[in-house]
Amino acid sequence: MIERQVSPEPGAFEQMASLTLDTALFRSEFHLCDRVSEYLADIVAQSHEDPARYANFSSQLINEMIEFSFRSAVPTGQIDFRLLKNEERVRVSIEFAPVSDHQPDWLANDTSAIANGHPAVGDLWGLADAIRVNLHTEEHKENHVTLMADFALLEAVR
Amino acid sequence: MSPSSPSFAVEFDEINQEIVLRGTMRVRSPEEMTDATDLIRRSFGHGGHLVYVNIKRLTHLNMTAFRCIADVLTEACLADPQRRIVIVASSVIAWSAPLFETLASAQPNLSVEIYDSAFYPGQTFVEDESFIPILRTQTKMTWRHEREILPRHGMKEGMAIADICCGIGDFATLIKRQFNPTRLIALDHSKKSLEYARRVAAEFGLNSIEYTYGDASQMLLADNQFDFVTCRHSLQIFDRPDILLRELYRICKPGGRVYITNEKNSHCLGEPHSESIRWTYDEVAKLFSHFDMDVEMGPKSRRLLTDAGFDTIKVESFMVTNLDGDPRDFADVIEAWENVYAGQMAVRRGDSPDFIRRFRQGFKDHVLAALHPKGYAGWPIWAASGRKPF
Ligand SMILES: C[S@@+](CC[C@H](N)C(=O)[O-])C[C@H]1O[C@@H](n2cnc3c(N)ncnc32)[C@H](O)[C@@H]1O
Repeated sequence: MIERQVSPEPGAFEQMASLTLDTALFRSEFHLCDRVSEYLADIVAQSHEDPARYANFSSQLINEMIEFSFRSAVPTGQIDFRLLKNEERVRVSIEFAPVSDHQPDWLANDTSAIANGHPAVGDLWGLADAIRVNLHTEEHKENHVTLMADFALLEAVR
Repeated sequence: MSPSSPSFAVEFDEINQEIVLRGTMRVRSPEEMTDATDLIRRSFGHGGHLVYVNIKRLTHLNMTAFRCIADVLTEACLADPQRRIVIVASSVIAWSAPLFETLASAQPNLSVEIYDSAFYPGQTFVEDESFIPILRTQTKMTWRHEREILPRHGMKEGMAIADICCGIGDFATLIKRQFNPTRLIALDHSKKSLEYARRVAAEFGLNSIEYTYGDASQMLLADNQFDFVTCRHSLQIFDRPDILLRELYRICKPGGRVYITNEKNSHCLGEPHSESIRWTYDEVAKLFSHFDMDVEMGPKSRRLLTDAGFDTIKVESFMVTNLDGDPRDFADVIEAWENVYAGQMAVRRGDSPDFIRRFRQGFKDHVLAALHPKGYAGWPIWAASGRKPF
């Protein structure tokens, strides 16, 4: 199981790339989830020994995070996709405003959410656990939340 | 970039009791999975006590789709506790076994196996380390010809190039030096060969070649990426070259070209002792065909490329001979063939010692022809390419 640690202080990460979309536009086209995840996963994997394979690996979770925000975001305002890195990790972060009834389950961060009527939450955490990627969330002012996943910067997948 | 159009397929192979899932399953709602799950459910209805679920070529899967599959699998496990369900995953796709393991931990009659062999019938011979010296010397010999042939098929400087089934990567390093591509990716399914390739590239300071572990019949590379895609001496070892060609076509840019080389082993020749040599190479072709490989494929290149949808097809053949450079190189290749073909493959087929002795003699005569001051030894190869239409 993955330790759901408090995220390291953000200062340790530097920004690599970012993409901001109008949430209404993003939510109008499901296929964008796949497009954006493949795009981000390619960058996440770029310094790996086998980029094609690590991109496939990381896109599995990134896509789930993006689909999750696709389903949970209020259809107004903006959604921010960011890639950050430090010496060891590449962090994928997605910041958006969720519809309010989704929020409590997220912060519970666990697969018991399936039982609470939000299978998507359970699936997201379940996938991260299964493939051993550290996933965590942060709450912000004005109801915004950030979903974050930390991928290895260098080492190859087993 | 999207790796492929979001499409997937589910099939049931009754003979092997195998449900095959492949492609990209990223569905918006469970309803899009209904046909697939119905087929899986029906297959279990027809299946026996042991059913395989092959996910080796399922490259992308979202959790909406996974949940649907998980539900039918769980249902099938509960419906018949005597039935064993084995999920067969590939190590190329690093997330798939761990994800499906989560189901196995809940259902005692379901298990996950990582299965990287049997991609094609002759795999055990070709991925064997003893093949490395063959490949290295072969490429050294063919390169003398191919460095001139490739530009005729459209290869030039500054292209994005993929070498699929790259083996030990020596062709990729030669391409890198000669044609200085903007991007060069080399894919193979042999970890040993890739390790070797990476080591050699590092020694030569060629750090921009992207070596990737993958399955050529379902690559993790995006559509329409490369100006030039090469696949040398490899279509002939697959029992389904059409599947491979479809993938080469997919990753090639419209207007780009796919270049393939293949042999016609029964046309290997030599003097003196031409009869013994001819007999042996006729037998080589039969031996490969026993293992579902077609080393007579060279002259079929035009048809294969046409059927795969390419246009402006070019085909040429060339003969590697003992007169190209050092004849000892050619003799080394022939000796390596003898070791693998007579020493391993014929033995595996169960051939008699008499047959193997005669079979080996042809190779020895070919070596003699190669090294003989008045001899001649040849190995014919077909190089062909086609353009992916706009
Ligand atoms: C006869 S060798 C040719 C290697 C190289 N192109 C050359 O000419 O030296 C065939 C190669 O295909 C690779 N191969 C076989 N099946 C494969 C698959 N499903 N995906 C990727 N590579 C595969 C083998 O590992 C082997 O390196």
